Amino acid sequence: MTPDPEERSALRAGSVHALGTLRRVATAQRFFAVLVLLVVLFVVFTVTQERFATSANIEALLTSAAILWVVAMGLTFVMLAGGFDLSVGSMLALSSIALGSFVNDFGMSVPVAIVATLAFGAIIGGGVNGVLVGRFGLSFLVVTLGTLILFRGFVNLWSGTKTEQVLSSLLDSVAFDSFLAVPIPVWIMVLTFLVALYVQRSTYFGRDVYAVGGNREAARLSGIKVGRTIIAVYAISGMLAAVGGVLQTARIGAASPQVGEAILFDAAAAVLLGGTSFAGGIGGVGGTAVGVLFLATLQNGLSVSGIESYWQQIITGTILLVAILLDRIQREGLSSIGIRLGQRSGTGPVEPR
Amino acid sequence: MLVAVGVRKRYGGVHALRGARLALRPGEVHGLCGENGSGKSTLLKVISGQVDSDGGRVVLGGVETRFADPAEALAAGIATVSQERTVVPDLSVAENIFLGARKARSWRGIDWRTTRRRAREVLDRLHCAVDVDTPVGSLRPDLQQLVEIARALSTDARVLILDEPTSSLADDEVESLFAAVRRLKGSGVATVFVSHRLNEVFRLVDRVTVLRDGEVVGEGLIGDFDEPRLVHLMIGRELEDLVVDHRRHQLEDAVLRVRDLTVPGRVEAVTLDVGAGEIVGLAGLVGAGRSDLLGALFGLEREATGHIEIDGAPVRLRDPARAMRAGIAFVPADRARQGLVLDMSVAENMLMAQTSRAARFARPRRAAEQATVDSAVQDFRIVSASTTNPVWQLSGGNQQKIVLAKWFGTEPRALLLDEPTRGIDVAAKAEVYRLLEAAKANGLAILVSSSETPELQRLCDRILVMFRGRIVARLTNEEADEARIAGYAIGHDGLAKP
Repeated sequence: MTPDPEERSALRAGSVHALGTLRRVATAQRFFAVLVLLVVLFVVFTVTQERFATSANIEALLTSAAILWVVAMGLTFVMLAGGFDLSVGSMLALSSIALGSFVNDFGMSVPVAIVATLAFGAIIGGGVNGVLVGRFGLSFLVVTLGTLILFRGFVNLWSGTKTEQVLSSLLDSVAFDSFLAVPIPVWIMVLTFLVALYVQRSTYFGRDVYAVGGNREAARLSGIKVGRTIIAVYAISGMLAAVGGVLQTARIGAASPQVGEAILFDAAAAVLLGGTSFAGGIGGVGGTAVGVLFLATLQNGLSVSGIESYWQQIITGTILLVAILLDRIQREGLSSIGIRLGQRSGTGPVEPR
Repeated sequence: MLVAVGVRKRYGGVHALRGARLALRPGEVHGLCGENGSGKSTLLKVISGQVDSDGGRVVLGGVETRFADPAEALAAGIATVSQERTVVPDLSVAENIFLGARKARSWRGIDWRTTRRRAREVLDRLHCAVDVDTPVGSLRPDLQQLVEIARALSTDARVLILDEPTSSLADDEVESLFAAVRRLKGSGVATVFVSHRLNEVFRLVDRVTVLRDGEVVGEGLIGDFDEPRLVHLMIGRELEDLVVDHRRHQLEDAVLRVRDLTVPGRVEAVTLDVGAGEIVGLAGLVGAGRSDLLGALFGLEREATGHIEIDGAPVRLRDPARAMRAGIAFVPADRARQGLVLDMSVAENMLMAQTSRAARFARPRRAAEQATVDSAVQDFRIVSASTTNPVWQLSGGNQQKIVLAKWFGTEPRALLLDEPTRGIDVAAKAEVYRLLEAAKANGLAILVSSSETPELQRLCDRILVMFRGRIVARLTNEEADEARIAGYAIGHDGLAKP
């Protein structure tokens, strides 16, 4: 159970360092168990499948994770601030259609169109989701459910439900070329991660996100612009969904209205596996990176092993549930889930122990 | 009635209880005293089935018991009202009192009429006049607390544990609660009463048990104790007492000048001045508008009208960020909900207010920040293993000092405090007083609202008494005796003068 302030101070009086260190490690490394699983999985696949640990396969593994990676990074910020964004998949598809339209209909050059697409993602994320949640104080679940449906509708309206080719050598090389023997999508992953980590850890905005997610009222009373922070995290989520949209378009060489329909579930699973709290205020992009790599390794390894892909769903779902259960037990003890060990219940006479 | 002996409990390597004991007799009110961390809460949790002890025995009515969970303890007649609120905000008062399966039933299902009537009866025992159909969330915190006490009373408990029930109550509500508790004595109920306000302990309890470091260091009839002895037992040393200089002030040099401040329905045309180096107190019942007044001064009330000046410059207070920029700091009443982000570190909490004006994508200068934090930890005598530890690990007193440090760090001209010592122990209170007096000496204008009259008398140069949103009396420290303040606070104008 959670120690109350009084007990906490009693604890503090004694083993200050032991508890403090334990707590810090547990908080900072909430993704530790999943990291261990990732390593185990990697070793098992390496040992059992000789085609797994080849550089070509690892490259494929990482490249296939790129879209999930960037979308999950954006979702992490929203969840750290105590929100959630159901609309990431729709924003990804809308950005993909936007990119196709910018190039084909508006005749923009591809680099300009890519920048415009990222700005477009930030604007629909921040301007619609962010403003409705942060400025008007509406429920984030209802708002992003609404925009999940709304944006998907616009995807179909704008595209006429047709897939349209986007021909561009630049997009081709974004998807398929390498730089210093590392595929461009992996560079994009690294860059996204480093920027996200910097924003999270080394800016006042990063602290605001944790403060708003941890205790919105205290943040507001401390002079933090809560509404602005919330708008910003949804803008980040929208922009990173647009990065995902650009990568998707590059990979298939076309703007398709069907993309991104299932990415929300994988992204949410990755963020939660990575130890970010659904209630906000705890976690970070480091954990999300581990979560995404875990999902990608599992999917790739199973397919290399020739195991049916539904096993991936069963394993991911199980591990997610076990992970949150273990996390609860580790932090608050068995009694927090209603289990007590070594104790007799009842009010009858009991022999002294 | 209930005897607990040799109770031991360890959390990790720390002994929260080392063989503590507590004996309750039917019809008595038993005070349980001790500083935060002395093991009071743990002992009560063992008795009420919330935690399992590592050793020792609990005997209830001659039968040794060991409760698996609070529900079993409740069924055996042990009801607890804890510091934390456990009401369901969207349900009505009646439903909250009879939460769960305890509502009256008839063949048509839940019998709401009877449930409401019974709720009314329980509330009447507390002299609490709230409408039983009101959602509890719309009530003020003190009334929510009364609803919880009503719930405990409604279970026909044999042992009633009141763990700091008065920490958010004003004097008259404390009195009505005490009256209700005293009436329970007649029916043979044993009540355990925990409070950091020692005057309440002396007023209410029959016998007392004093804990320090998980052990009983004193017990007996309350008449055998006096306040200095009790404090000495609790903290194991003498408390330093400061000589306070309550100066009279020239109001031309008012730092904070408020004219006709009105918050519709809650604050009526309040005019006041607070000078440099002056502490002004706000007394009054809970609900008299003290908190709303402080909130309005910090820009929390959008409908507020009136004129406010800091150092002669008019300020428009629309949100906390602007109030901070104008030089106002606000220490709110509820540390956990309003004052701190419990999962964030000591350092991050301390810096939260003063860095809220920096560019958001700027990189914090860690070395400078750490220096600021380290010196604050020293000045405020904050006890924490590391400033990177989350604040939930700290005691209430240390948490409150962090809130103070956070706001002193913004270098305010005017400091507003709402219940600055709620729920913290005697030693921490003395520390808070010391800090406020040091700030006063540095020329800060301080406006402090408190339900504890002795606190205001101790701290303030002047005391303003509020009643129904208005200031009904302005007293100097010498004029402000407890009876007079109490009189004004319940609306007697001048008649209550001795």
